[in-house]
Amino acid sequence: MIPTKFEYAKPSSLDEAFALLAEHGPDAKLLAGGHSLIPMMKLRLAEPEMLIDLAGIPGLTGITVRDGRVSIGAMTKHATLAASEELRQHAPVLFEAANALGDPQVRNRGTIGGALANGDPGCDYAAVMLALDATFTVAGKGGTREEAASSFMVGMFETTLSPEEVLVGVSFAAAPASAYVKYAHPASGYPLVGAAVVLSMNGDAISEARVGVTGVGDHAFRAGSVEKALAGVRPSDRTALEGACAGSAAGVDVRSEPAAGAGYRSAMCDVYVSRAVLAATRG
Amino acid sequence: MNLVGAPIDRVDGRRKITGTARYAAETPLPGLTYAVMVESTIPAGTIAAVDAAAATRASGVIAVLTYENAPKVEQHKVAGMTDRNLPLLQDRIVRYDRQPVAVVVADTFERATDAASLVRIRYDTSVPALSLAHGSGYHPEHSHGDEPSVYERGNVDAAFAGADVKIDRTYTTPVEHHNPMEPHATVATWDGDVLTVYDATQGVFGTRSRLAVAFGIPPANVRVVCPFVGGGFGSKGSAWAHTVLAAMAARAVKRPVKLVLARPQMFGSVGYRPATIQRVTLGAKRDGTLVSTLHEVRSQTSIFDEFVEPSAELTKMLYAVPNVRTINTVVPLNAATPTFMRAPGESSGSFALESAMDELAYAVGLDPLEVRLRNHADSDPSKQLPFSSKSLRECYSVGAERFGWSRRVPRARSMRDGGLLVGMGVASATYPTNRSAASALVRLSSDGTAHVFAGTQDLGTGAYTVFSQVAAEELGIPVSSVRFELGDTNFPMGPVSGGSQTTASVGNAVSVAARSARDRAIGLALGDPQSSLHGHDADAIDVRDGRIFLRDRPDVGDTYAAILGRHPQGEIEERGDARPGDEKTAFSMHAFGAQFAEVRVDPELGTVRVVKMVGAFASGRILNAKTARSQYLGGMVWGLSMALHEITRTDARSGRIMNANLADYLVPVNKDVPSDFEAYIVPEDDPNVNPLGVKGIGEIGIVGAAAAIANAVYHATGTRVRDLPIQPEKLV
Ligand SMILES: Cc1cc2nc3c(=O)[nH]c(=O)nc-3n(C[C@H](O)[C@H](O)[C@H](O)COP(=O)(O)OP(=O)(O)OC[C@H]3O[C@@H](n4cnc5c(N)ncnc54)[C@H](O)[C@@H]3O)c2cc1C
Repeated sequence: MIPTKFEYAKPSSLDEAFALLAEHGPDAKLLAGGHSLIPMMKLRLAEPEMLIDLAGIPGLTGITVRDGRVSIGAMTKHATLAASEELRQHAPVLFEAANALGDPQVRNRGTIGGALANGDPGCDYAAVMLALDATFTVAGKGGTREEAASSFMVGMFETTLSPEEVLVGVSFAAAPASAYVKYAHPASGYPLVGAAVVLSMNGDAISEARVGVTGVGDHAFRAGSVEKALAGVRPSDRTALEGACAGSAAGVDVRSEPAAGAGYRSAMCDVYVSRAVLAATRG
Repeated sequence: MNLVGAPIDRVDGRRKITGTARYAAETPLPGLTYAVMVESTIPAGTIAAVDAAAATRASGVIAVLTYENAPKVEQHKVAGMTDRNLPLLQDRIVRYDRQPVAVVVADTFERATDAASLVRIRYDTSVPALSLAHGSGYHPEHSHGDEPSVYERGNVDAAFAGADVKIDRTYTTPVEHHNPMEPHATVATWDGDVLTVYDATQGVFGTRSRLAVAFGIPPANVRVVCPFVGGGFGSKGSAWAHTVLAAMAARAVKRPVKLVLARPQMFGSVGYRPATIQRVTLGAKRDGTLVSTLHEVRSQTSIFDEFVEPSAELTKMLYAVPNVRTINTVVPLNAATPTFMRAPGESSGSFALESAMDELAYAVGLDPLEVRLRNHADSDPSKQLPFSSKSLRECYSVGAERFGWSRRVPRARSMRDGGLLVGMGVASATYPTNRSAASALVRLSSDGTAHVFAGTQDLGTGAYTVFSQVAAEELGIPVSSVRFELGDTNFPMGPVSGGSQTTASVGNAVSVAARSARDRAIGLALGDPQSSLHGHDADAIDVRDGRIFLRDRPDVGDTYAAILGRHPQGEIEERGDARPGDEKTAFSMHAFGAQFAEVRVDPELGTVRVVKMVGAFASGRILNAKTARSQYLGGMVWGLSMALHEITRTDARSGRIMNANLADYLVPVNKDVPSDFEAYIVPEDDPNVNPLGVKGIGEIGIVGAAAAIANAVYHATGTRVRDLPIQPEKLV
């Protein structure tokens, strides 16, 4: 319960951060809200020798909506997202995920960048970013690159971020018809199943659906077959909706743990995906 | 004056919420050192090698004790229900996962924790016995107290064979850990051959004997102090290894030692409710009256000690059944020794019996409450004795009315609330009234106050409060003039706070001591020429607000303060001893109750939400309606938790506990507790049970609660879950 010894630095620019990262190599870790990293250090699952705090670097926080596109800085806190009227309008799916994430302490410290960079298989935002088809902006010593959410997540606690890169923000097209619902673990609040849905409607029928699922496999995924099956479905037609959402976790190596076995989790995945679709149509 | 029964606030409440109530781990002693236990990581085998070099070298470390260098102490229990065989670093054998295998003492807690992580132990593993279902078991001599582990009245096989309606079901309950809010903690200090221990315990005298035996010193050389307990629920009813190890370490380092268990260690060596497999058969007539009951209980114990979960005891007496057989089998496993956990036996057993009664109700097409009424036992069919008092019928009717049982539509899966399934369930509750010998001391002083001492414990139950009320009433002084002290072996002896017996045992002793102090003070006044009461008759006297006066002429009187002010010592002391009489041979003594639960089940998810719980309990005279209600409600929350949440999981291959933390071992939070939640006190006057007329209230609240919820879940869904806890997966 006591971390190993470490140094602490608070750079005031990205370049300074890159220099520190280069200097300390794999012994350094970036620190955002600390709500995943510090517990891991206390359990000695992480033993970094140098913590590089991102809090002193300007320009990494905030929500901007311009020309139908939403951009969010990596250091924006969950609580900020959860209280944003703009998000509620332009991306209810993210607004709802932020409100359903953790508890007030976690929301007041944790950041969207930290959550996504951490690659937790139960990261709520991961499903949301997939459904939003978001773009991640990643900065490194050599410059800045953009990456699609769908290729960013690779495995359990694994992303395409290299140890010397900083996630600076995410952006996506506004998605007013969207929703996030989750089946929370009764104690930790992490999603046993989290379903994010972004819809385009043609009258009362779905013309296009994007479905992101988290908590179920070793990383978040798009439920491709469900997305296809949903096209043309009227969500008010319960049977058609449930039919389209069936098998949402097919082909995924579904996690099994005491709070939810694999079979149960797969079944709940279908239920939550269809609940998310219904919620997204309520707009 | 009617102080007894008044729903007054806890007298120790302010001290608790302001943080001035001192718990064992908070004992400040000069030169204190800190011990941390290292626990085994295998369930069976032997220690092949210990490498304590790095730990010993670590900064601040004073000693590392292992089986190689630990002083010799007695590991075996001597006698008594609460005494246990303990693993005390005396040999290299590992008998269960998380057994203490080393103790590190350092100058700070952090350094001791760090050094504990540096102790390297290599094991030779052997194949552990882990299966309750398949392991070989035996019938212990007793299931509980003097009760035989195999019991039969009538002829169960013949009666069951000829029954119109037969229920034959198996129910299982998992291992559950107590997890009181306050972790077990011990601060130990030696002065020569005299040991003082500040311990989180439900029995200061039991802990004293255990320590005396372990170190081979007279009990008089051991003092155990425990003014406050942050919950025990049975896990603090025995002295466990850490208490002896703390004392051993203190002796070894010649300084006071503090040893506090970390939360994961609360799943180690401090007991738990053993898993049970229970077969219940009910034979009944078409009208629902029972002709036979069989209750077979298989429960686990450890390979080095015996604890029997007495789940079938209530089956012997709860219903009027002519033919009953109960059988207990224990299966020794490579697991720590189980122990009493809130209503040991009654809680697990009532889940099985009261679920089976519900199954019978559906089988004969009767209201589950009606089936219970038709089998009501007017006297105790096992002891063939009258009950000292029994108000179960009143509990059923009060509970049913307050709950709104009449709303229930009989057929299962027939009630809905929007998309949710609605269900209602009922179960009976009972708990025996226990009592042991106890003593108390009352000191009346010239300032008009009373100082009362008793070697008992307050687990958070309200003992301080109700005993202050009893003393105040007998003495005729306000509760605020009583200072009650407990939790010290320097005080008169009291029993373990277990079996819901504290109030019945110690309350009667306090009452006797207070009455003799009052009578002695009256005697002093009557014999004192300076008193206006001089020469009057003791029968003519009344006491109120610290004033002794003539009943017929209240203006003629004297005060305790004045009487004792004239007394050469300025104070008087009286001791009261109380012990059970022969009521046990004349009566069967039990508290009774009825539990009602309403649930909403999401049919898609299988999630159960308890929206309403009502309990109605009759437990004799209630000394404080406020603290009593808390006990009942607390018990009911435990029942809810047992029904839906709690399970300790052991990995079937490694034999290791997998969820030794409060994120993976679920306990209910406020959100899980129904907002519509009430316990009703059914008034009951019992002149036979003991002089105060009290029965236990600490445990009955959990009895039947899990069954009521399980029965409600069946009513909602039509799915009968016979293995606890009822997790969502079992309902979809
Ligand atoms: C009690 C509790 C409950 C929680 N419940 C939930 C929940 O329900 N759902 C959920 O999704 N999450 C939950 N979380 C996790 C929460 O979202 C964390 O805050 C988040 O995962 C990490 O964000 P952080 O800002 O705290 O990152 P940190 O802990 O500071 O960092 C996490 C990791 O990301 C790296 N990192 C951080 N920022 C960047 C960056 N900008 N670029 C590159 N790397 C970076 C760090 O080096 C570190 O490896 C919970 C956490 C706790 C403690």
